[in-house]
Amino acid sequence: MAGIVVVESLTKRFGRVVAVDDLSFSLEAGTITGFLGPNGAGKTTTLRMLLGLARPTHGRALVFGKPYARLRRPPLLVGAVLEATGFHPGRSGRDHLRMLGRSIGIPDARADEVLRLVELDGAAKRLVKGYSLGMRQRLGLASALLGDPELLVLDEPTNGLDPEGVRWLRDFLRATAQGGKTVLISSHGLAEVAQTVNRVLIINHGRLVVESTLEELTSSPDGSVCTRSTQPQRLLHALRAERLEVTEASDGALAVQGATPERIGAIACAAGIPLSELVGQASSLEGAFLRLTSEVAS
Amino acid sequence: MIGLMRAESLKIRSTRTTLGLLAGMTALVVLVVVLTGVFAKSSDLIGTSNQLSLLSYGSFAIVFAGLAGVLLVTSEYRYGTIRPTLLFNPSRARVLIAKLVASFLAGIIFSVVAEGAGLIAGLLILTARGLPLTLSGGDIGLLIGGTIAGTALWAALGVGLGSLIRNQVGALIVLLSWIFVVEPLVFAFVPSVGRWFPGQAVNALTGLASAHLLAPAAAAAVLVLWASSLAVAGNALMARTDVS
Ligand SMILES: Nc1ncnc2c1ncn2[C@@H]1O[C@H](COP(=O)(O)OP(=O)(O)OP(=O)(O)O)[C@@H](O)[C@H]1O
Ligand SMILES: [Mg+2]
Repeated sequence: MAGIVVVESLTKRFGRVVAVDDLSFSLEAGTITGFLGPNGAGKTTTLRMLLGLARPTHGRALVFGKPYARLRRPPLLVGAVLEATGFHPGRSGRDHLRMLGRSIGIPDARADEVLRLVELDGAAKRLVKGYSLGMRQRLGLASALLGDPELLVLDEPTNGLDPEGVRWLRDFLRATAQGGKTVLISSHGLAEVAQTVNRVLIINHGRLVVESTLEELTSSPDGSVCTRSTQPQRLLHALRAERLEVTEASDGALAVQGATPERIGAIACAAGIPLSELVGQASSLEGAFLRLTSEVAS
Repeated sequence: MIGLMRAESLKIRSTRTTLGLLAGMTALVVLVVVLTGVFAKSSDLIGTSNQLSLLSYGSFAIVFAGLAGVLLVTSEYRYGTIRPTLLFNPSRARVLIAKLVASFLAGIIFSVVAEGAGLIAGLLILTARGLPLTLSGGDIGLLIGGTIAGTALWAALGVGLGSLIRNQVGALIVLLSWIFVVEPLVFAFVPSVGRWFPGQAVNALTGLASAHLLAPAAAAAVLVLWASSLAVAGNALMARTDVS
């Protein structure tokens, strides 16, 4: 079935800021799609419109052929977690789930079931104010799973998860997709989701930059090399002094065009700048991501 | 819709806030009744209107029920639970209706607890001081019925106010200054206006004797009108505001 999610010319303006700009895409059943973009790209805003929490300035977003608000008992079809937490600190995780479940007639026993599923059953009766960030993420995920939905929409779900938690989530999402379900997962970096997703949508400044499968993205020789240093500014100057084209990510990574990793290493060595990372060519997911998201910016 | 109301009622019960409000309310009512009953001159505790005011301190419940109503909406925005709430139930109007009903029912409980505590304390004090009860069964019936109806409607009114002013602190300030400052001042200086206000309507509803108050039936209608107008306005606002 095509078009579990269909987004058409979706636009959202906040005053003079165009957070989402004429965005169109669709998702098919059984895919895990990474919805990527740097901070402020418009990911959360897009998801809020998709989920009926915010009204588009223009265009529309459909899930299972309808605007979200028109779905009957939406949690049975769509499970969603948005980035910011939505828990009352003085309520237990279990009561949080029960309260949501009861509102649409899901039995209380299902709350305990999903708590076990996300491995939070030990803390079920504790108040949410005593939960760690990762536990809150798991509780959010549990609430999305309550209705055993066909589509999962997760906004930065790996935030706050430890490596073991990230691996757990990855396996969980893969198993979910194997069962024919569809997943849309947002992230600000490709690396976080590269091992999970099979398709990517990259947006920047509210516009779609890339829509492709993960293989296409990583196999296209993008020619850029991703490097990091403990002294990024010095490295940037040294590389630019060699007339190389360098783009800088907010987290300090540099994407360098038109030079091999050997040459970059040599330049850094000559200038006495320590490198902490140097990844070249096809394996450079981060490089591809940086290049793709900075093209529109410049 | 039934499920949504059950969920809202669980929301009210599942944090300690409600319990705290109930405990604080009961303590306050009993304290005021005891202080009045112990220190008042015997001559001030006989006669219908004196006894009625001694036994009507349970109507403090309107303040606490109003607070509970305000909190039922504003804490959703404060803590962001409004997001999952609306993801599960995208119709904001239905969510608001469920909150109105759940808080109305909670208001009944608040008033029964408060009026029960106030009545028992007051009657015990009158008995202990050997003062005869001069109120008729009808007076006491109106007092109890009026407190229950008034408090339940105030809880709904709190929900309406919270949906209009979703900032928790702002809504609480408005509620409290309305009850303790605006209404008493306006009623004292311009009673022809003040008697139409929701707090004075509760006084009228419980049968407090004052030339300036409305008749109980009219007061009930006025209170329903206040609660529903705030809810309708809040609903219109919620329908067109984004949730972030
Ligand atoms: N309620 C709002 N009012 C005004 N501007 C907003 C609002 N919500 C988002 N924006 C703006 O819209 C743009 C997109 O924000 P959005 O939260 O969608 O980004 P994002 O891709 O989710 O970023 P991040 O990775 O940091 O979560 C930003 O410029 C942001 O400042
Ligand atoms: Mg975001």
